[in-house]
Amino acid sequence: MSASPVRRVLTLSTGLAALVALAACSTPGAKTTTGQGSAATGDLKIAVVDAQSGQNSALGGWEYKGAKLAVDQWNARGGINGRKIALTLFDDQGDPTVGTNLASKLAGEGYIAMIGTAESGVTVAMEPTLKAAGIPNITSGQSNALTAGGDPFVFLNGPTSTTYDATLAKYVIDTKGLKKIAMITNNGSYGKGEHDAFLAELKKRGITPLTDQVVTTSQTDFSAALTTIKQKNPDVVFIGSEEVEAGLIVKQARSLGITAPFAGSAPQGTPVYVNTAGAANAENTIVSSPYLSNDTSDASKAFAAAYLAAYKTTAELHGAKAYDGTEILLTALKTSNAATGAKLADAIRATHYQGLLGDFAYDSTGVGIFATKIGVIKNGQLTAIG
Amino acid sequence: MQVFLQTLVGGLSLGAVYALVALGFALVYRTMGLVNFAHADVLMVGAYVASTFTMTEHLPFAAAAAAAIVVTALIGLVIERMLRPLEGKDFDLMLIGTIGFGIVLEALATLVWGATGRAVPSPVQTAPLHLLGASIPSYDLVVTAVALVAMVALSLFLERTRRGVAMQAVAMDYDAATAVGINVGRSNAIAFAIGAGLAALAGALVGPLLYVSPTMGGSIGIDGFAAAILGGFGSIPGAVVGGVVIGLISSFSAGHFHGYSDLVTFTVFAVLVMIRPTGLFGERTVVRA
Repeated sequence: MSASPVRRVLTLSTGLAALVALAACSTPGAKTTTGQGSAATGDLKIAVVDAQSGQNSALGGWEYKGAKLAVDQWNARGGINGRKIALTLFDDQGDPTVGTNLASKLAGEGYIAMIGTAESGVTVAMEPTLKAAGIPNITSGQSNALTAGGDPFVFLNGPTSTTYDATLAKYVIDTKGLKKIAMITNNGSYGKGEHDAFLAELKKRGITPLTDQVVTTSQTDFSAALTTIKQKNPDVVFIGSEEVEAGLIVKQARSLGITAPFAGSAPQGTPVYVNTAGAANAENTIVSSPYLSNDTSDASKAFAAAYLAAYKTTAELHGAKAYDGTEILLTALKTSNAATGAKLADAIRATHYQGLLGDFAYDSTGVGIFATKIGVIKNGQLTAIG
Repeated sequence: MQVFLQTLVGGLSLGAVYALVALGFALVYRTMGLVNFAHADVLMVGAYVASTFTMTEHLPFAAAAAAAIVVTALIGLVIERMLRPLEGKDFDLMLIGTIGFGIVLEALATLVWGATGRAVPSPVQTAPLHLLGASIPSYDLVVTAVALVAMVALSLFLERTRRGVAMQAVAMDYDAATAVGINVGRSNAIAFAIGAGLAALAGALVGPLLYVSPTMGGSIGIDGFAAAILGGFGSIPGAVVGGVVIGLISSFSAGHFHGYSDLVTFTVFAVLVMIRPTGLFGERTVVRA
């Protein structure tokens, strides 16, 4: 076979994939009928944009469940000033290109606010379009890149990587005295953010990592990186990677005989990470997270009970984050009497909210919470230390 | 030295999986002159079927893998049957047809098993072997052994059985094969069924190594396809060597170039293909329709 048919087919397949993506995007929003372009009357149109397919779809699923729970509760209480909240779900497939198309779609169809996405890279790609359209966006991303642009319309529903890793470094180095640290991170938006934030914490304490391994987001064999780590014999291995890849890394590390515990942030506290690694391999993973369990307060117990009743599955961090973010948005809509654009963004910034993750008070960069807690995986469950 | 050996071990077991994927690509191409772009998605279905049987039905791993092979072989037969009217008429449409089937399989898997995916426990729980400081996970040995057996069995089938020889005849000269009374349709159907079975075998084996999800075919498919091209498209030993070479290149480039490893792997691949456009073992090209 000559080269040209192959190239043609590859181009075609990319084209087809794009078409399918577009088709997938256009279906979910089709049923919304009222309030087109105007926020003065009719339903309040809010979009959830999250991966519902692909490797990070678990994340998108949790996020949607949390957001929907908050909206359903508000609607059950009569909505906002008598107006119903219409929540529409869009699948960004965890792909920045799809995300950018969706941003234009939200602008064109008169959505007043957006919940999501769960991936920093996708949200960063969507920001310029959302900013131009004046659509406030509450994201579950935690990369510092989200706030670097000074966009007044982007808000985080949790702490940034800096906060996660400052708390983690404080516990691992200052409290436990573990100073022989190896790092393994991926070169995606999240992994890069974790890498830079944790390295900055090490530098503050004058510590150089024994080794600093970077892997790609699609890698499946980590032999070279892990063998190098094993030879350095670290006390603890910092890991900056999403749930599935982190699980694979830890599984392979244990089979290569690395016994040191791993330390990371939110993804390492999830059941997907524990299942992928295997519960025995994930044991003693140190996790920095703003939401360690459903039993920490009355609010989290009530949330977990409502979540369980609605979805027949146990609540976890990402659902809680999205729930908090959505509550903040809806509170701001109520206090601003359903304002849109810059006024709504200002109202979100002014909202002080006692959430599941802690007390939210937004600063000018769009970050509202500045603390995490430390937990450890014991018998496959994330549990608070102490 | 230890890093080198360990990287070698990792690359070889990854290469064994790529080789299985490449074998399926090569077999269908060799018989029909067609690239089956649904191949990676058939692998994904195989991984799901096998893991479903081991995790919920608690069948032994070998039985689950066999069941997966049967199920996907049937899918292969369906794909071939639906493409058959186009055989010898419109080659491009057949290619696009296989892409379409891939998308359909991914969508079906999302409907049946959900988009989230699942982690599959390893069927071999024994401790890894140690050799010169490198540790060799016992499951990797199983994967490599199964890949080798599959390759030998496939070669024997093609060279030593009437059916296999007939399939090769179809590949060499479609019209002459038809003239001497070989049933070309059946030959193609068998190629598709065996190709799909190989994909299922690869899927069943790779499930416990990776994470099974509807989109898992993507990167494995690309690496397997690259392996088949590198080996010389349509060549059975070439597919195996290509798989191992791609596995080793990705492992070593991951060790040396970290975040840029994909870039390096495929640059090396592009250079190799430029030097030998017909691949390592490709002595001829099949051009049909």
